[in-house]
Amino acid sequence: MVQADSITILLVDDEEMVLTSIRSFLAIETDYHVLAYTSPRRALADLDHQPVDLVISDYLMPEMDGITFLGKVKEKYPHAPRILLTGYADKENAIKAINDVGLYQYIEKPWNNDDLHLIIRNGLEKTILLKRLEEKIREVEKAQQELGDVQKQILRLFQ
Amino acid sequence: MRDQSVSDHEPEQLRSASQELEQVKEQLKQTQAQLVQSEKMASIGQLVAGIAHEINTPIGSINSNNDILIRSVGKMRDFLNCPDCPSAVRENPEVVKIMKILEEINRNNRMACDRIIDIIRSLKNFARVDDSEKRKVNIHVGLDNTLTLVHHQLKNRVQVVKEYGDLPEIEGYPNQLNQVFMNLLVNASQAIPESGTLTIKTFRDGDFAKIMIRDTGVGIPKENLGRIFDLGFTTKGVGVGTGLGLSICYKIIQDHHGKIDVESTVGEGTTFTLTLPLHS
Repeated sequence: MVQADSITILLVDDEEMVLTSIRSFLAIETDYHVLAYTSPRRALADLDHQPVDLVISDYLMPEMDGITFLGKVKEKYPHAPRILLTGYADKENAIKAINDVGLYQYIEKPWNNDDLHLIIRNGLEKTILLKRLEEKIREVEKAQQELGDVQKQILRLFQ
Repeated sequence: MRDQSVSDHEPEQLRSASQELEQVKEQLKQTQAQLVQSEKMASIGQLVAGIAHEINTPIGSINSNNDILIRSVGKMRDFLNCPDCPSAVRENPEVVKIMKILEEINRNNRMACDRIIDIIRSLKNFARVDDSEKRKVNIHVGLDNTLTLVHHQLKNRVQVVKEYGDLPEIEGYPNQLNQVFMNLLVNASQAIPESGTLTIKTFRDGDFAKIMIRDTGVGIPKENLGRIFDLGFTTKGVGVGTGLGLSICYKIIQDHHGKIDVESTVGEGTTFTLTLPLHS
């Protein structure tokens, strides 16, 4: 199981106050490492040398909208679940875009901290399970390969 | 001279033509007033939706921060209660007092936030800007949103009884219907001088939805019952009533191919019944 203190969450919202609220909540209830940005561009630039496990982004931002931003994050870290924070008015647009960038969830403002926590935990669990599944598939493939080799050796012995 | 002779021959026709003209003028006046009112409502709707949207982020932040404070104080309480904590700290009167105040104001703030969030949600639902097309309307959601907005007129004074029946969604314009609910609920509240009961009953009647709004207020005198839907008719006095409310309700319900009925007994109360087709 991945340790909570080795998990990095990327948080982007053009409103500093939203960052402070969510960052403080995660600090008090979790051991996640949180990276918070008011600028999606700067977040993207830093992503090149900073892997992340989960991303939360606001929808309406002056530099670039949340869907575009999450789409770019997807290119770099396809396994990191993407969560969109939306105001009420843009909910319908956000839902339409869910399929475009493969959103894991959207959260409506004003959000509830318990819901947020649950969504993050489930999202991380999903990636961890996916990662483990991939490892298992690799192991099985390797074992099959080895079995094949052994089989060839046995056949050779009997010839 | 010739004109004179025409009017002499056809005074009846002239009189009826002038009557017709008078009627058309009256209708025109009515339409104009309704147009002005609906323009006004549309711009108020946009303004309200804009404000609600702007308040959303800061209240979201405050609400979350308050939740964090509650959690933090809870953790501090746990720390004070654990055996490692010196009793001199735990029992220090200043600490006891501060903890008590913190817990109390946090609870208070949570209620305040819940109420603001509730009001914003109602405002946003009430003033849907995207209301140019007919859509599915949940009558009960509309009534509840409107009740939240008129809460300040009712609280402590008027008891609200909801008797919601099994009602499917109907086709219509949600914010126009909300405006009807608003007018009827405010009227009902104003009809109750001190304390009383406001009953909202809904049920399905074949292909129609019925919404009854009943108050235990002063009632409407018989001689006024026939005029309450007339444009400009009000008994509320200058500055309180415009005489537009019910005439607009009438128009909106007509646009929905429904009808609006009223029954009233002076001293007992009034019941407005809306009948709206489920499908247009």
